[in-house]
Amino acid sequence: MGMERRNEILETIMNKPGITFRELARQLGIGIGDLQYHLYRLEKEGKVFSRKIGKRRYIFPAGFEGDCQRLLIAISTETRRRILLLLMEGPLTQSEIAKRLGLSQPTVSYHMGELVKLGIVDARKEGKSVTYTLSYDPRIIARVIREYRPSLWEKLADNLIDMLTGMGDEE
Amino acid sequence: METLLTLVTLLLALALAGISYIAYRKSHLRATLYLLIAFLLLVMKKAIEALHLAAWIERDVSIAVGVLEILVLLLFIMALWKR
Repeated sequence: MGMERRNEILETIMNKPGITFRELARQLGIGIGDLQYHLYRLEKEGKVFSRKIGKRRYIFPAGFEGDCQRLLIAISTETRRRILLLLMEGPLTQSEIAKRLGLSQPTVSYHMGELVKLGIVDARKEGKSVTYTLSYDPRIIARVIREYRPSLWEKLADNLIDMLTGMGDEE
Repeated sequence: METLLTLVTLLLALALAGISYIAYRKSHLRATLYLLIAFLLLVMKKAIEALHLAAWIERDVSIAVGVLEILVLLLFIMALWKR
């Protein structure tokens, strides 16, 4: 029975990388203590691992270490989360993103550069403008962003980053 | 009253240093690092003034405090410098 339960947990994590502890417990209808025990065993066996970011702990299957790192850096600021959610609707240029999110061009340019470097977004030059497309599984991005709960300090730090990257905007 | 004002200044400077540190960890922007150092220097300056370290180390620290002030302002300018 315990083994079956553990396999069910592992399967859910493999199907939904980046699921949170709370969501996993809710989906499988398992008690907190039970889930903690099975996750502890799975982590010990090297089948899953978890990372805490913001106020949530995300659980990933083994072999997802590199992807997890990139993903969590990509969603670590409010502006990037908004950009990623917007790009889920389809490809957009830098000026379109800036206009729709009410951000300055330098701020968008900085964040897009970071997202391209992380391999979460693809940039394609079309004439004078660059079109950005998501290059990562949108379901995983959406799941991780939905559960993300930044602290007040993080929100203030995000504002500072946007303020510094947005300097020099003529608008 | 003076102690309260000093305490508030110290707390605000520490909070701003903390915010700059989180921003630096997230972005690795040089400007955030300059701000972090600037706010920490501000804490140092305020602590020197508040604790009357001049009397304790039996030396005039007005030059040191002045230098710290200039450093803080320089770091602010560096943080705002458009790269």
